Amino acid sequence: MNLTHAAHLWWLLVLPLLFWLALPPRPRQRAWTAHLVQWRLAQKALRQKPPRLSGLRFLLLALACTAAVLAHAGPVLAGTPGPTRLVVLLDASASMAARHDGRSAFDVATQAVRQKLSELPENVEVTVLRCGGDLVRRHGPSARALQDIGRPAGALAVDLDALAAQVAGPNTVVWTLSDGQGQQRLPAAGALTCVGAAGPNAAIVAVRTIDRWPLPGFSVAVDMSWCGPEARRGEVQVTGAVLDTPPLSIELQPRAVQTVSVELERLAKGGLLQVRLVVAGDVLPDDDVYEVELPPLPAPRIAVLADAEAGPSFAAMAAKTLAEEVGGQVVPAGPGVEVGLLLVDGGNVAIAPGRVRAICFGSQFDAQRVPVPWLEPQFADWDRSSPLTAGLDLSELRVHCAFRETLPAGKAFLWAEHTLEGRVPLAAVAGDDSRASVHFAFRLQDSNLPLLSAFPQLLRRAFVRAYGAAAKLKVRSPAIAPGEQDLASRAVGADRPLPPFGTPDRELAAWSLLLGLCALALRAFVR
Amino acid sequence: MKRRTRNLPDVPERFPRAFQDLLHDLLARGPRLPGGKTEHERSKRRVLSQSGTFVGHRRYVRGDDLRRIDWAACARTGELFVKQFEEEERRALTLLLDLSPSLLAGTTPRRLFMLRLAAIIGGLALRHLDGLTVIAPGAGGGAVASFEGPGELDALLAHLDALPVVPASAEAAIGVVLKRGVAGRLHWISDFVDPATCELPLAALRRRGASVTGWLPVLAEDRQAPVRGYLTLDDLETGAEMIIAVDQALAAEMQHQLELLARQQDRLFAQCGFPLRRWPVPAPADFLAAAAYQQIVQWCSR
Repeated sequence: MNLTHAAHLWWLLVLPLLFWLALPPRPRQRAWTAHLVQWRLAQKALRQKPPRLSGLRFLLLALACTAAVLAHAGPVLAGTPGPTRLVVLLDASASMAARHDGRSAFDVATQAVRQKLSELPENVEVTVLRCGGDLVRRHGPSARALQDIGRPAGALAVDLDALAAQVAGPNTVVWTLSDGQGQQRLPAAGALTCVGAAGPNAAIVAVRTIDRWPLPGFSVAVDMSWCGPEARRGEVQVTGAVLDTPPLSIELQPRAVQTVSVELERLAKGGLLQVRLVVAGDVLPDDDVYEVELPPLPAPRIAVLADAEAGPSFAAMAAKTLAEEVGGQVVPAGPGVEVGLLLVDGGNVAIAPGRVRAICFGSQFDAQRVPVPWLEPQFADWDRSSPLTAGLDLSELRVHCAFRETLPAGKAFLWAEHTLEGRVPLAAVAGDDSRASVHFAFRLQDSNLPLLSAFPQLLRRAFVRAYGAAAKLKVRSPAIAPGEQDLASRAVGADRPLPPFGTPDRELAAWSLLLGLCALALRAFVR
Repeated sequence: MKRRTRNLPDVPERFPRAFQDLLHDLLARGPRLPGGKTEHERSKRRVLSQSGTFVGHRRYVRGDDLRRIDWAACARTGELFVKQFEEEERRALTLLLDLSPSLLAGTTPRRLFMLRLAAIIGGLALRHLDGLTVIAPGAGGGAVASFEGPGELDALLAHLDALPVVPASAEAAIGVVLKRGVAGRLHWISDFVDPATCELPLAALRRRGASVTGWLPVLAEDRQAPVRGYLTLDDLETGAEMIIAVDQALAAEMQHQLELLARQQDRLFAQCGFPLRRWPVPAPADFLAAAAYQQIVQWCSR
């Protein structure tokens, strides 16, 4: 035991003073008596004791004083040298989900970590790094509890050997828990625990889809591989938000990617589509599933609004063209009529741009702004990267008259050349990912857009853009991790245990004070 | 409690001139002792039962058997003398004195009154009886002293005055008495602070057929707690020291203990059939008043 402030022990010189103070005062009177026995009996009858110096009471007082002085001097119990920090590299790649004897390698690894962390001294600083999939770092109490460490998924994107060598230090111990999958070699630094074992595995390595939304047609092409010693027959099951599809049987060849294409017809209500590869003896079933959320099909009811000056011909033609493109129907516009898209040509319409799924051609939505005709604007260019116009040829577009005031604020995708202002938008998209409206600054009758071959496709894309994210697929299954399928090609090595950790210096001041208080408390009961 | 070097309190002058005068006056006017009465009764017998060895003469006092008058000596001297014989029923008295330091207790030490009590009783014995034996265990050469006749009163006082303060147990004191034999009535003057130690000696005296009278000079401190406050008590007997805080409750309890002690002392003598005389010592102003000692003389005459 060492003392931080040994000079404070000089306070022990107060002990003689305490002894002097503890002495009972000497009486000033003295009397001779022959009845000392009777005095004692009287005191005993009254349960009194003569004032005297109690050795035990003074001993306890001296003990309390000594303990207080000792606490003031800062007693420290020297700890043992050794590392005080532990970094756990926990392999949580997809291959760690491989099951052997009913338990996954990840479960075995986390149980080993929990057991070891529960045995670690409190002074050891613990950090857990989940390697594989999303990198997760936990530190301190959350690391000891393995809080929200997740499930194994994704590829092991780090070199555990290099990471362990980088993290290891004189005060830091690295403990790697891995199945060796996807690693050239296992870490040479720190402790090592190898989990899992080799085994056959079938996996979906890639999925390609062709979405014909808002049409019900849906194509899926599934690439799959079999990592086993010999060919084995498997079965592709498609279930969920599609019409019933019989399972497809396939003869899987070892270490070969094979593709299965399926034409599906989706349900109008949408839902989860699951593609599952079923192979007997597969130790890693987590990579056998592909799940995608199919959006519900829209109600392709298209309403047309056109002013009398514009005439219904172009708008009706556009609506008919769009209905043919998306498989919908044209319905008359009116109050209380539910429509999937509003197609407006000219005139005034009381809609909030971006809040209503609509395609407007020169329609004025703000009555306060008087449109000023812009005659013969020089068409300049279109956005070749926009989903609306990418791949379309609009070079022959001619506009005879445009109304710039009819364009709301939004992302432009058509521009005209103005002599003074430069490039001026002729069309724009207003709204967000879930709902949008497409606005053109000219009426159909004032351009040759309806006559262009790209017009139907532009209408269809405008329809899809008006629905935004509601028309997109949402893949639910985790990303397919390359290199995590062949469980036979993994690095192996011998386990290395954790070294003993150091313990910090323990301050005994609190214990010393507690001892002093106990002595004082005990002294209160001693007479 | 601890022991310390003893520095015992002093005893005032035991027998000042005034007390000696008072003593002579008491002896002159005092009644006869019971021993004389016995002699008087014996003189009424028809037959002179003289027995024993002739040991000498003494002056005639009223009540002596006339048949013991030595007429030849009377003829030679012109005064009346009686013959003295060493016989069983010799008219004698024995004083047993307690010299222990415990008698030094009291504002005026109890020892002073013990010595004066012994002087009065001894003086009466010298005046009315054949002899007086003073036994003071622990006094060395003066442990046993005999006196005869009124003329040895001064010698008695000198002997009493010279007695030292020595610790002596009741067993040892009675041992001396039993070894030498009890001559006449035994007057035991002590403070009897430890009645338990006196129980066996008294029983032994009773078996020997001795007649014992216990004398206890009673101080004011024997009736109530002497002092109050925070003080040091020194035990005279053992030298032990005790610091004590005397409050009202402790004083009351101490008085109760003193009453218990008094009852134990009374029971001690009562169970042996002996009387215990409690003589309240006089106040300092009455130290030389005859009335203060008159009760002693009256008790002796019974």
